[in-house]
Amino acid sequence: MIRFENVTKRYALTANPALDDVSLEIERGEFAFVVGKSGSGKSTLMRVALREQLASEGTVMVAGHDLAAMSSRQVPRLRREMGAVFQDFRLLPGKTVTQNVAFALQVIGKPRHVIRSLVPETLDMVGLADKGKRLPHELSGGEQQRVAIARAVVNKPQILLADEPTGNLDPATSLDIVHLLDRINRAGTTIVMATHDSAIVNAMRRRVIELHEGRVIRDVADGSYDPALTPDEARPDVADVTWEPEANEDIDPAAGYEGGA
Amino acid sequence: MRLGFLLGEIWTGLRRNLSMAISVILVTMVSVFLLGLGMLAQRQADTMKGYWYDRIQVSIYLCTDGAPQPNCNEQAVTDAQKDTIARQLKEMPEVDTVFEEDAQQAFDRFKEQFRNSPIADTVQVGDIPESFRVKLKDPTKFAVVSSQFEGAPGVASVQDQEKVLRKFFQIINGVTVFALGLAALMAVCAGLLMATTIRQAAFVRRREISIMRLVGASSWTIRMPFLIEMLIVAMVGVALAVLMLWGAIQVIFNLGVNQVALSQAWIGTSDVLVVAPWLFGGVALVALLTSLLTLRRYLRV
Ligand SMILES: Nc1ncnc2c1ncn2[C@@H]1O[C@H](COP(=O)(O)OP(=O)(O)OP(=O)(O)O)[C@@H](O)[C@H]1O
Ligand SMILES: [Mg+2]
Repeated sequence: MIRFENVTKRYALTANPALDDVSLEIERGEFAFVVGKSGSGKSTLMRVALREQLASEGTVMVAGHDLAAMSSRQVPRLRREMGAVFQDFRLLPGKTVTQNVAFALQVIGKPRHVIRSLVPETLDMVGLADKGKRLPHELSGGEQQRVAIARAVVNKPQILLADEPTGNLDPATSLDIVHLLDRINRAGTTIVMATHDSAIVNAMRRRVIELHEGRVIRDVADGSYDPALTPDEARPDVADVTWEPEANEDIDPAAGYEGGA
Repeated sequence: MRLGFLLGEIWTGLRRNLSMAISVILVTMVSVFLLGLGMLAQRQADTMKGYWYDRIQVSIYLCTDGAPQPNCNEQAVTDAQKDTIARQLKEMPEVDTVFEEDAQQAFDRFKEQFRNSPIADTVQVGDIPESFRVKLKDPTKFAVVSSQFEGAPGVASVQDQEKVLRKFFQIINGVTVFALGLAALMAVCAGLLMATTIRQAAFVRRREISIMRLVGASSWTIRMPFLIEMLIVAMVGVALAVLMLWGAIQVIFNLGVNQVALSQAWIGTSDVLVVAPWLFGGVALVALLTSLLTLRRYLRV
């Protein structure tokens, strides 16, 4: 579903690349955490996957599209297959909860009857069925993030990218949000979530991809995360973390991507 | 994008950026008013030229009894002299048509032209000289006719109508150049202001824009509200300018000038309707191009 092959991302005027020869593959229906210290490149990875930024080197495939080969006219189509949520919610302050969620459908030209059925259905799914008429500032942080999630998934994207969605929330609320993401994942959406909250990662026991100075230093299923450990002492596998495509993959990635395109 | 939603976004956009919208309206109004003024002045010149070229270009005034011109010797023109002039005129290749205006006709025409002026009451038949009205094949060939008849027996004076009007055309051309020059300057202002307004509007709505991009709105969907807003604002400016032009023509020409001279030779408010579509079209084009260029630079997907 998402594949990075030797991806390097350099920002102008910076010595070290934000992503350094990153290779990884996230399958359809997976739930993966991207962890690492501040500045390790988590947000950069998300932005590259969303094609907000292009990789400096390497190939990025998302839902069957080669992002570097894609013309800017095709980008909207890619974005309609992806949802994204962020630490700062990014809701429109002048619109109600319902209007915020509907906005995502209106601007891609969905007919009114579709909007009228999808929006309440999605708000119900995130547990905000009775708060549709509220404005964002009349909601708690956790509720605002639920609205943002509803907006991200209302068009039923195949992929949901979440960049520190719990960064502004207390631990209990954070866990609620992650459980909601988990539910969305079980319904079939591929989820990549960047976080440095080890409690969440350890509670969920899902795949963990750890970045350090732009490199993948760990990539394990059922992973945990202890930010206090330095790469050397905690991870004997630190030297050989480059991702290798498995020879015996039973899912042909290309065929899988076709369905989403 | 649904029309209702689009209109709602446009309305919100205009309201949130109202002061900029008003300044674009005003600057557009002033520049279009000046441009329109220049265009109307040119139409005035054309109308007048057409009017005079359609009639006579050269008048050969004949001597009246006691005429002051030395050539006349205070004697009225004789029939033999008139015949000679008429025959010579007909033989000239430059001449298109000749019309002989007798004293009574000259008097009637004068009365008609100056019907609203007190001078009309003091003239009598015979005061206005008889004349040959000559229409030339090429109005600029005036000199040929004038040199032949200036000082001929029975001729009081030869008048080139275009010469009479030349001063007037000079004034009109001056007005045109002045108005168009100012209009060009104002058009630059209007263009820059439109670009600034769009940048400002894009800044005010940067949240909406970033979300639109994130959820996969096409770049046209993102740009459309800005484009339409700019078009609406520019068209309001043109509409106001056209109203002002209409008012100006009403005041200057219909009420002022028509009192003293030929109404056919003057443009009227209907001429405003003729230039209006050009003004609307031109400004729409400028607004569209400016918006597209600015949006291209500032709103990338
Ligand atoms: N737009 C940019 N221009 C230049 N350098 C940037 C830019 N964005 C990020 N960087 C640099 O790239 C590196 C990775 O940044 P990134 O935002 O991806 O880290 P992160 O893992 O998301 O950090 P955090 O946990 O604090 O969000 C950092 O060194 C940062 O300074
Ligand atoms: Mg980040």
